[in-house]
Amino acid sequence: MTRRARAATLRASRRRGMRPSRAYNVFRVIALASVVVVFIFPLVWLVLASLKTQIDIYDPSKTFIFSPTLHNFKTVFGAQAFLPFFRNSLIVGVVSTALSLVFAVPAAYAMSRFSMTKSSIMVLLARVIPSISLIVPWYFLFAKIGMVGGYGAMIISHMFLSVPLMVWILISFFDTLPIELEEAAQVDGLTPIGAFVRVSLPLSIPGIATAGILAFIFSWNNFLFSLILSGSNTKTLPVAIFNFIGYASIDWGGLMAASVSITVPIIAIAMFFQRYVVSGLTAGATKG
Amino acid sequence: MKRRSRYAAVSLTAALILSACSSGPSSSSGPSSSSGPSSSSSLSGQTINLSLSHHAWTTSLQTFIGDFTTETGIKVDVNVYDDAQQATLYNVKLNAGSSDIDVLMFRPLQNTQQFTQNGWFADLTKYVNASTDWNWNDFWQSARDSVTVNNKIIGVPLVSETGVLYYRKDLLAETGMPYPKTMDDLKAVVAKIHELHPDIFAFAGRGEVSAAVTQFSSFLYSMGGNWTDGKGNSTINSDAAKAAYKLYGGLIHDYGPPGETDMNWPQVMGLLQQGLVAFYPEASSNYDSAVDPTQSKVADQIGVGPIPAGPAGSKPYNITAMALGISAFSKHKDAAWAFIKWATNQANSLTIQEAGVPGARTSVWNDPKGTSTLAPDLLATIQGNSKIGVGYDRPQVVNVDQARQIVGAPIVAAIQGGDSNAVADQANSDFQALLDGQAK
Amino acid sequence: MSSPVIAWRAAISLWVNRNRKWILSGPAIAFIVLLLVIPLGYTLYLSFTDAGSSLRASFHFTGLGNYTNVLTDTRRFWPAVYRTVLFTVGAVSVEMLLGAAIALLLRREFRGQGIVRVIILMPLVATPVAVAMLWRLIFEPTIGFANEFLRFFGLPGSEWLSSPSTALPTLMFIDVWQWTPMVALLLLAGLTTVPEEPEEAARVDGANVFQRFWFVTLPLMRSVVFAALILRSVEAFKTFDILYATKGAGGGSMHEAETINIYAYGINFSDNRYGLASAVLVVFFIMVLVLVTLQIVARRRGQ
Repeated sequence: MTRRARAATLRASRRRGMRPSRAYNVFRVIALASVVVVFIFPLVWLVLASLKTQIDIYDPSKTFIFSPTLHNFKTVFGAQAFLPFFRNSLIVGVVSTALSLVFAVPAAYAMSRFSMTKSSIMVLLARVIPSISLIVPWYFLFAKIGMVGGYGAMIISHMFLSVPLMVWILISFFDTLPIELEEAAQVDGLTPIGAFVRVSLPLSIPGIATAGILAFIFSWNNFLFSLILSGSNTKTLPVAIFNFIGYASIDWGGLMAASVSITVPIIAIAMFFQRYVVSGLTAGATKG
Repeated sequence: MKRRSRYAAVSLTAALILSACSSGPSSSSGPSSSSGPSSSSSLSGQTINLSLSHHAWTTSLQTFIGDFTTETGIKVDVNVYDDAQQATLYNVKLNAGSSDIDVLMFRPLQNTQQFTQNGWFADLTKYVNASTDWNWNDFWQSARDSVTVNNKIIGVPLVSETGVLYYRKDLLAETGMPYPKTMDDLKAVVAKIHELHPDIFAFAGRGEVSAAVTQFSSFLYSMGGNWTDGKGNSTINSDAAKAAYKLYGGLIHDYGPPGETDMNWPQVMGLLQQGLVAFYPEASSNYDSAVDPTQSKVADQIGVGPIPAGPAGSKPYNITAMALGISAFSKHKDAAWAFIKWATNQANSLTIQEAGVPGARTSVWNDPKGTSTLAPDLLATIQGNSKIGVGYDRPQVVNVDQARQIVGAPIVAAIQGGDSNAVADQANSDFQALLDGQAK
Repeated sequence: MSSPVIAWRAAISLWVNRNRKWILSGPAIAFIVLLLVIPLGYTLYLSFTDAGSSLRASFHFTGLGNYTNVLTDTRRFWPAVYRTVLFTVGAVSVEMLLGAAIALLLRREFRGQGIVRVIILMPLVATPVAVAMLWRLIFEPTIGFANEFLRFFGLPGSEWLSSPSTALPTLMFIDVWQWTPMVALLLLAGLTTVPEEPEEAARVDGANVFQRFWFVTLPLMRSVVFAALILRSVEAFKTFDILYATKGAGGGSMHEAETINIYAYGINFSDNRYGLASAVLVVFFIMVLVLVTLQIVARRRGQ
């Protein structure tokens, strides 16, 4: 085949829109449907179980058909008083995310513009270190300065996860911002920092949103730090879920209702900000 | 208005402290009208942090814990944890000398040696001695012993617990056999039920390595075995111990539900409640959930009986399961003591026992009200066990967690149908190493 | 406003701008270093001592004793290493394969694509502890849906998480369920950067779907594949939440789900052998670093 002929075929195939065969389309629909079912079924099951009584959960004949009850949610928000745990998760998540941004945005900017390899390796190190090697020493540290049990220790520990994550996401974001804009601003009389604040910062709002949402999700889901560092009034949701285990008979319905209550808000946030979440999760991966 | 009620509450405390014999008034009675200067007014307004365990005792206390604040003005911050979490938290927080915990709920047989060695308990002796009206001697001797180390009192007993056998009355009746008196009877009746109802788990029990140890202990003692010889030598590979491992694990292997080696009591209890289990050795203190009609389909068919006799007779464990202590690092020890004293006074002990959680106060047990709510078969078993029981349900070492992992291994092997004798030999040398390490 | 003030301001501004590299990045770096180096140093220090029971009690230096104990421990440590490696390799390789397949399925636009993307995002953001609880119920041998499902097809049930022989594969399955979407999203992002022309050319030359993917598309997105591989294997290597929430601190009755992370947690928080636990953690950390370095080196070589 000559090059010209090949190019012609290529054009022709493109004109046809590279339409795949009918068989492939059928296969694709089936495959996609199975993907959807596999990933969503357990979550649907979770919701179903949260609406069942303990006796129905043990009854195989009531797998899909049963009379739903909100009893378990009453346990979660009534007897187990989950609302304060929501408040705690929210406070720790929002504050740690906000403070982390204050640290991470300028740092990521500097690391992007000055190619600070050693520093970014340090940040990477913080992302790969196993969390349990940090907890005991941290606890001692926090106890020494009287921060244990309050929000402070929790927020700082969550920031330790958020800051590196944000720096990681934002470095790759700032890398894509053209430096020419800042240079032009400097020609117009702005200082380098002024150019950063007035020009780059406003442009990086999508990146900041991405980093912030992702950090919030990870904070909301964090279990280990919260288990050890949360105090009397600062227990967060992932820790509180254990209230349904280890006492009397295992309260599956209550456990599932608690799981639903924790998961639904975070899934809702992720769905709402889907684009940001995806770009945050994939940040840094697509560059060379 | 608020201020006045608080004043009244303070006065009430004062009145209670001053009164010579305080066996009378119930905690939930209204504010007293008496007035006068109060020695505890300095405690009013303080907040104490309670670290409680998931337990029926806690549930019962929580229904009226507000009364304490009303009476004393001391605020309480209640934290309830499951066992594993609580153990971790104690390790971290007390290790750091954190004042984050004031009152700590603990399991004397699990924690006393380690916490004492680490200096984590406040010495309660002077408080106890100063509270004559509260009457320390009313607690059982064995219970007091379990929280006394080197003549120092480190806790107040809350819950007594003993090994019993839960069973389905209807299924037993179907076999036409009497309640099993010996281990051989038990094997026979379980086999019969299995034959009649292959879909029911004729014998189930805790199978998770560490959790199983305490319920297994009744079988170990009854078969004539023990953890050690009392002189620092491990005896968990004695013939009697090996027979006990084979018996307990074998019954579960032959008749238990799938996934047994992962089961602690919440899982087994769940199955029992749904009518899926015929015989189940478990602690007496879990009786309430076994017969809870909101959770159970067979609540009215659950009976309780003594552990059947082995070669050494019926030797169930009979222990102080829970106690309240004060952290050595607490900054509110006086207020913490005020709470413990209140929670364990005669009136409140009675209230909690009436709710179905057996305590350790003689006067409560002697009070007809204290036993009126206990089912007759449960009461009879508890009273029987109190005469023959062994005062510990796990190895008596500093690091109980580690010991339980070791001595539980042969149970797991037996449940899986493996060579539990070989595993017992290995476990014996491991346990010996632990004992030797501790003796150093 | 007097001129000295202006001069001062200008001087400060000049200084700040000149040192902006460190002024901007300093706080974050200091924060991380402080929270990273102190614990690392402390762990390293404890790993050379016999610290146990109480950290407030006195303890002695034992040199490399803990390390020899750890590295010669064939009953708990090496099996834990084996499980960690098995878990990581098993779960991540399945995730890479399935993730690639899903990414290819999602590559071309179709109606409802948004919904599918949202759905595969769900396992990713769901709270791991809650996810663990959910699977605990599904895999419950007596009442769980998994066995009910099998029974429906007349198949025998399994003990899933509860049995020492099936616990680890079941946990790998859960990890695959939760993290395959992550790989899919990464590869999908990578696919969008790959031009379609080479593939079309190969198609015209008669290459089938598999050949086109393997010989044309994949080499073009090698860096994304490596990134996904590094990210997932480090995360899988460190998995904690799901293991702890399903099997507890010891990893089960026969330590069947005890990875290095869980093992370190157990000897730290259950057994209070802080010296030994610290040695395990140091070894673990070195392993993670080696893993990362190896993959980065492999990635460089590949380019």
